[in-house]
Amino acid sequence: MIKLLRTFAGASAVLFLSATPLLAEDIPAPQGDVLLTITGNIKMTNVDDQLQLDRDALMALEAATFETSTIWTEGVQSFQGVSLATLMETLGVTEGTIIATAINDYAVEIPVSDAVEGGGMVAYLMDDAEMRVRDKGPLWVVYPYDSDPAYRTEVIYSRSIWQLDRLEVVN
Amino acid sequence: MPDAADQRAAAGRTFAVLAGLLALGAILFLAFNVSREIRLLGSANSDNVQWSLAQTEVEFLEYRRHLNGEPVNLSALRRSFDVFYSRMDTISQASVFETTRADVGFSDTLRDIQLFLTASVPIIDADDADLRLQVPELIALADSIRPSVRGLATAGLDIFARESDVQREAVARTMSQLAFALSLLIGTLGLAIFYLYRLITIVSRREAQQKQTAVRLNTVIGTSLDGVIVSDARGRIIEFSPAAEVIFGHSRHDVIGRDIGQIMVPPHLRDAHDAGMERMRTTGEKHVVGKGRVKLEAQRANGDVFPIELAIQSATTDSGEIYIAFLRDISARVAAEAELVAARDRALAGEKLKTEFLATMSHEIRTPLNGILGNMDLLQNTTLTPDQARYLRHMETSGRLLLTHVSDVLDITRYDAGKLNIQRVAMNLGDLVQDIIDSQSSMAAQNGTALDWGWDGLPQVWVESDPDRLQHVLMNLVGNAVKFTRQGKVSLTVSVRTDGPGDRLRVEIEDTGPGLAADLKDRVFDDFVTGNTAYDRDVGGTGLGLAIAKRFVTALDGQIGVDSEPGQGCTFWIDIPIKRVTHHPGAVETKRSPTKIAPLDILVVEDNEINRIVVRDMLQAAGHRVTEAHDGQQGMIKAHSHAYDLILMDISMPVMDGRTATRLIRTGQGASANTRILALTANVLQDERVAFLEDGMDGVLTKPLTQAALHAALAKEDRAEKTAPRSTDVIDSQHNRETRDVLGADTYDMMRSRFDADMGALIAELTDGADDPAAVAAAAHKGAGSAAVFGAIALRETLKQIETAAKSGDTAALPGLIATLPDLHRDTIAALA
Repeated sequence: MIKLLRTFAGASAVLFLSATPLLAEDIPAPQGDVLLTITGNIKMTNVDDQLQLDRDALMALEAATFETSTIWTEGVQSFQGVSLATLMETLGVTEGTIIATAINDYAVEIPVSDAVEGGGMVAYLMDDAEMRVRDKGPLWVVYPYDSDPAYRTEVIYSRSIWQLDRLEVVN
Repeated sequence: MPDAADQRAAAGRTFAVLAGLLALGAILFLAFNVSREIRLLGSANSDNVQWSLAQTEVEFLEYRRHLNGEPVNLSALRRSFDVFYSRMDTISQASVFETTRADVGFSDTLRDIQLFLTASVPIIDADDADLRLQVPELIALADSIRPSVRGLATAGLDIFARESDVQREAVARTMSQLAFALSLLIGTLGLAIFYLYRLITIVSRREAQQKQTAVRLNTVIGTSLDGVIVSDARGRIIEFSPAAEVIFGHSRHDVIGRDIGQIMVPPHLRDAHDAGMERMRTTGEKHVVGKGRVKLEAQRANGDVFPIELAIQSATTDSGEIYIAFLRDISARVAAEAELVAARDRALAGEKLKTEFLATMSHEIRTPLNGILGNMDLLQNTTLTPDQARYLRHMETSGRLLLTHVSDVLDITRYDAGKLNIQRVAMNLGDLVQDIIDSQSSMAAQNGTALDWGWDGLPQVWVESDPDRLQHVLMNLVGNAVKFTRQGKVSLTVSVRTDGPGDRLRVEIEDTGPGLAADLKDRVFDDFVTGNTAYDRDVGGTGLGLAIAKRFVTALDGQIGVDSEPGQGCTFWIDIPIKRVTHHPGAVETKRSPTKIAPLDILVVEDNEINRIVVRDMLQAAGHRVTEAHDGQQGMIKAHSHAYDLILMDISMPVMDGRTATRLIRTGQGASANTRILALTANVLQDERVAFLEDGMDGVLTKPLTQAALHAALAKEDRAEKTAPRSTDVIDSQHNRETRDVLGADTYDMMRSRFDADMGALIAELTDGADDPAAVAAAAHKGAGSAAVFGAIALRETLKQIETAAKSGDTAALPGLIATLPDLHRDTIAALA
């Protein structure tokens, strides 16, 4: 029930946001469970020096979608999320490295230069469904592997971190 | 050799290219393999799979730790379970684990773990109270599966170790293949480098050789006495040698690049030169180039035109065709040649003059000699005292010797002037030799020498050769032998050999005389060589006899020689090619049997009074009737009005010469138009003889005329009459008309009636008295004379044949001839009417 309400609220937010472009200072402190906590050298914060994003806040950001297969799943999946480019723009970050950490404390480094149009994203929907922890959710950094052989390398695969819950931007 | 080298070079190039391509192909293939290996290493299954498997156990242990919590943190428990679940889910699905999952042990373990998860999920997903109650059950489940989770990681490690071994081996194999291919390529490159080095060596050696050749060639051209000029296809000079500078007076740098035609072709040849160059450029047709030595005219810098000899050859170079001319100034040679030609012409003219002089002199000497000898001949018939007769004999001997000498000189002159003509006619060899033996026998007898002849081998009487020359040669050789032999023997042996390529006549004259000294033997056939002085008193001679004999034999394509030892006599021999023939009627009769000649009516045409009188007296002495004419015109007129039996015609005469007179007589239809005419001349060259015959003459008598020659000619005339009736017409109408005009119609008619009657009586007489040849001959002769008056030529001819037959005793022919008379008589009278 709560889930349903959250979804409804998110949908309303999307409707609302699509009408008026979201500005950075508009991201409010999280109301629901925090899915992603962003720290480090960022220009946008909402709780102390952190930017804490719940599902609504993530979905309020400009959404990106693509379809691709992955080496960890069967068949082609469609993904929806916030592209790294949009996220970095929102954070006012143009350079440096992102340290992405998962629920189990697995951490990888993603260079900010990966944040390009048509590049990787922080996905929150797979096949239009929310991802459970059991399904590598709730957040998964995915790249459009099928669109470019450059995304089918070990480096990119290692940056494709799932069960993501923290980002830290360092120089 | 260059071909072989080129082929070797081509083969080397091909080999190097092929080997290089092969090695390159291998390297590309291997490089592709390597890059594939690298791609395999770097993509798909390249996620840190081992880490993931190890992480499985870490996450399982994390989950297990949360189960032991006091109290149990349910949220952390659920999260750690989910993380583990997610991990297992990934391992079960992810393509990177596909190969790992294919392992039976691994997949069994995986299935066990999934069963564990399936069993645990309802408990984890139950509400908090139930979960808390069932934690011990979760612990039991987890502990039972724990070995499997551990086994999963270990199994993965084994599999990856194996896979990585395989992959390492594949990479190592590819790498060693690559290394091999690289060594191959390096080897090929090494070979190519060696080959290139060889090529460079060869090329540089060739370059050096070419440089040497060029230097040598330049030296050759530079030192050549002939000028060397090279031009391009348009005639522009591109090389001009030092010798050419000297020849033409141009310096090299002045003429390089200029048109060759403007520089050295004289103006009058320039159009032809330009046309030639144009022709070569457009059609490639070459008239001078490559045609060996050519003589042309050229022009020097100072405008002098001078003769050159040149040879032009063309060569094809990178910059088109070029022409190379070697030329030399031949003005000195041409001048020398002209001088030589002039000298030769002068010499030839002098020689000709000398020959002509000799011929003329001989002729001019022979004419008065002829007179002297003729008169002496006549003088012998007069009454002489014994002394006078002896003096006359001496004079005649000297005269005849002189005549022989003059004839010899004339013969030599003719031979050397190339006017000696050789005839080839059938002749009686036996008669010829017999005549010579006969003529020399009295001389031999005086010397007490025996003279005989015989055949060696089968006699071959009739042969084809030149009887006059042969007679001259043999007469000379036999005469010499007889002359030099005292109290000895002279033998003449004739043989005809038919075993060689052609028939050959060999005549040997062997004497027992003094023989020849060795030095004389070699010179005996030279001009003006006479025997040793001891004999000069005994035998005379100009020393030309054997020289002439040699010339005649040579002219007959034969050889003449002598074998001799001093004191042992000598053997002269001749060996000449002949042709064997069988006797035929046209053959020249060399045997002249003396026959009694019937008196003839003869016209002698001769301007020289002495000669004329000699001939007249000789003929009259032989019983002939002679009419004289002083020149050709007179002779022609007399011949026209009277039918002579024979005309002797001199050739060179004032007013009209003998040849013209003969032609007019033959074409004039006169009384003597068909009479036999003999030329009487001292000039008896063969071509003249032919010319005389063409004019209508029947033969030639050579001056000085002798009674023997005259007799022979008349005998021949007599025989010829027998076989050669000249006309088939019954009467000579022109002659008959003239007779009628001369006599007048009345007298003519009377004479004709009498002729008719006489002829009838004659025919009767001949028919009845055919058994008395003398009477027949007389009657026929008389009848023939009458018939001649009327121009009854057919009748006259037949009567003359009867007369001749009767005289020669050929009585068998008489009845047939006489039987034709009545018809001829009737036809003739009818024609005369």
